[in-house]
Amino acid sequence: MEYGNTATMFMVISVVSCVLGLAFVGIYYLNKTVDQNGR
Amino acid sequence: MHLIPQSWSHLHILVSVFPSIGLIFALGFYVTAFATNNAAMKRSCLVLFGILGILAIPTYFSGERSMAVLSQDPKISQDLMNTHFDWGVASLAVLVMTGVAALIELWRSRRAERLSNDALHLVLGLAIVTLALMIVVGELGWEINHHELQLDPATQRTPQAWSHVHIILNHFPTVGFVFALGFYIAALVMNNVVMKRGSLVLFVICAILGVPTYVTGAASMWALTGVPGISKAVINAHRDMALLTLFGLAFTGVAAWIELWRFRHLGRFSNRSLYLVLAFAIITLGVMAETGHRGGQINHPEIRLATDVLPTDPKAGWSPAIESLINHVIWFVPWQTVHFFGFSLIFGTALAVSLRVLGFWKSMPFSAVHRLLPLGVFGVVMNVFSGMLILSADSFRYLNATTFAPKTALIAIGAIAVLYFSLSERLWTVKAGEDAPMSAKWVAAVVLLSWAGVIIGGRLIPYV
Repeated sequence: MEYGNTATMFMVISVVSCVLGLAFVGIYYLNKTVDQNGR
Repeated sequence: MHLIPQSWSHLHILVSVFPSIGLIFALGFYVTAFATNNAAMKRSCLVLFGILGILAIPTYFSGERSMAVLSQDPKISQDLMNTHFDWGVASLAVLVMTGVAALIELWRSRRAERLSNDALHLVLGLAIVTLALMIVVGELGWEINHHELQLDPATQRTPQAWSHVHIILNHFPTVGFVFALGFYIAALVMNNVVMKRGSLVLFVICAILGVPTYVTGAASMWALTGVPGISKAVINAHRDMALLTLFGLAFTGVAAWIELWRFRHLGRFSNRSLYLVLAFAIITLGVMAETGHRGGQINHPEIRLATDVLPTDPKAGWSPAIESLINHVIWFVPWQTVHFFGFSLIFGTALAVSLRVLGFWKSMPFSAVHRLLPLGVFGVVMNVFSGMLILSADSFRYLNATTFAPKTALIAIGAIAVLYFSLSERLWTVKAGEDAPMSAKWVAAVVLLSWAGVIIGGRLIPYV
């Protein structure tokens, strides 16, 4: 493996942002349904 | 590839897993029906036992005909086959009794308009005896044609125990999935809430079991490398499909879990979500059937046809391509970072929910902390995906590390235990200021210790 460069750093930020973004948007909408209709 | 069996041996290895491993799932549903006292579920289970009883017929005849064919193979032990046959006849006889008792009770209860507890317990007892016998039969059966299990451990770089575990474990998410789907369709048709929840739980359990199945499969690949008669190209073809199955299981399992979680808060199911789970499940079952068939081709020359064209290039397929790609730092480090975020989410959620159950933050009702669970489930999804990629980078080293097997087992235990938080009626009604039941505290301790063990096991991989 080659070590550290700027492209890797951008790749880390991009992948983590996409994955966490997807997870939190999903959780937001899940909770929204429960907030509106929960018992 | 032919999915329809064209030989007795092929039919036998396909059909025999249903009355054996399938019986575990049938018993699971049956015990749930007793626990929830759901008459429709009890009747559905009786139908299931009846079907399994009927399956004893093709299992017996395909087994007997397979013996005649396999007797000509000098590598196969006649004594082992005979012992398998004798135990097999005993277990199938009890299975037929179970099926007949279930069908008689079903017929009788239609006239009497109620189920008899004595008859139901008789079916339960017979099914348990059948299962005990089937465990012996199954173990003897697997050893007939899996000669790699007899190899000297001293000559093996990767223990054959992985292959042994894989040939047993892979039938759980596959056969379990067939039962879950069958029960789910029956639940949708009958509009039975308990059966819907039971099937959704089984979809989630199958998805969770997909993880150790995939991991043990990858380890078996290394254990079988260099064994005469085993082709790496055929293994890779199986691995590619197993990867797709893992994704299918993840989609089905997560969709099913979300519906269980939402049901807890809303008190009803969304039809759209239920049919989404059904669509995922049907697609996954199709992919799984092809995966199983390709897996069978690795070590069962007796099911191959003269017209079958098996892969010959060990570098072809997605799995070797992923292995090559993930070994570049630009791909490895981002997914390793996602893995760290994933276990932060899992452990943070497990800690918060488990501590409330154990007696911390009593001013909050349990339903409030239950809202946090999707965070942890998304963490699990992130880590299954990123973990699979990380494993591909150097699977030989990871799989032969001492702590990898316990880590994988603890993932399954920790994830299955979390299901309790969305299923227990007593826990759900714990209000602010109230203490959780003792059983819930034990489950919380198991969840917390399992996920702590997963993290510790993972971190120790390079050092132990």
